[in-house]
Amino acid sequence: MGETMDNTTDFSAPALVEGFAHVVEVEGNMAWLVPESGTSCGGCASASACGSKGIGTTASRLEARRFQLVNDAGLRVGERVVVGIQENAVLRASITAYAIPLATLLIAGTLAQWAADSNFVTMAAMLAGLVFGLWLARLRAGQLMAKGELAPRFLRRASMGEMCNS
Amino acid sequence: MKEYALLIVSAALVNNVILARFLGLCSFMGVTTRIDTAVGMGLATTFVITVSSMADWAVGAYLLEPYNLWYLRTVTFIMVIAAAVQFTELTVKKVSPPLFQMLGIYLPLITTNCAVLGVAILLVEQKMNFINATLFGFASSVGYSLVMVMFAGLRERLALADIPRLFAGPPIGFIVASLLALAFMGFSGMTS
Repeated sequence: MGETMDNTTDFSAPALVEGFAHVVEVEGNMAWLVPESGTSCGGCASASACGSKGIGTTASRLEARRFQLVNDAGLRVGERVVVGIQENAVLRASITAYAIPLATLLIAGTLAQWAADSNFVTMAAMLAGLVFGLWLARLRAGQLMAKGELAPRFLRRASMGEMCNS
Repeated sequence: MKEYALLIVSAALVNNVILARFLGLCSFMGVTTRIDTAVGMGLATTFVITVSSMADWAVGAYLLEPYNLWYLRTVTFIMVIAAAVQFTELTVKKVSPPLFQMLGIYLPLITTNCAVLGVAILLVEQKMNFINATLFGFASSVGYSLVMVMFAGLRERLALADIPRLFAGPPIGFIVASLLALAFMGFSGMTS
């Protein structure tokens, strides 16, 4: 029974969203990776030939998004790997980063408009609401980080010619 | 309150940014292959459109109108939108670097999203007051996000469907988009 269970898919395990990254630096037991550029057309390694890459895929922008992994797999500089994050991590991160500040901004603005009915007061209240929301987002992001829900994990080395949408 | 409700329904459903005004079509087709990316893009766009609507209204009311500079509105609004995106990017990066690593890829796409500029131009041309302009921007972007997520859900199912080879990929996507637009036409006439 136990052997049978080992050969089946564990549907209770959280699904992972896969992405590609290049190893740019190895320091002791840690590896620094840079995600591959993404474009609105969904291309990745082929993005260099894509006219829509625009300002979103410059080397400096990608460098700013570099991240660290524990190098248990013995990764070397220049290797292309597949990393994964939990499927609902993007949703949680999006809600934390955008929905919380937006909600506080709109609530503050609505209350100010109802109380004062002045454009300047409403604008000031919205600004204050935005700052408060960003502070809440920071707290929430800290909680998610502590649970490890925002951290990508190494899955495997990418095979030759493997694409993100293949 | 009724005025606000009508404004929200009108901007989100009746005059939907994507399916009625045909703005933001590149992201509509490009970022809707998965629901989670559509949600990420939708929330980021909602934030940026709302913030830039407020900023665009303020610039229009306190700078362009008093100095009779309306002919500069397009280039001014583009600058305001770029600044709003940059502000959002820097803020997310400062507030939480892990969030920036995960979500930063959506922000540059928003800079070149014509829906953001379209909403800004619409709200100043309709001579709205500040709270109406903010609600209009918010509701328009909610409508944008709603359609993005619906279409992403449909495309995820299409990926598993047995589709004739000639229609596979973008062609069936366009056909589904047209059916979705027809469905949204059912809202027309609810509000002006």
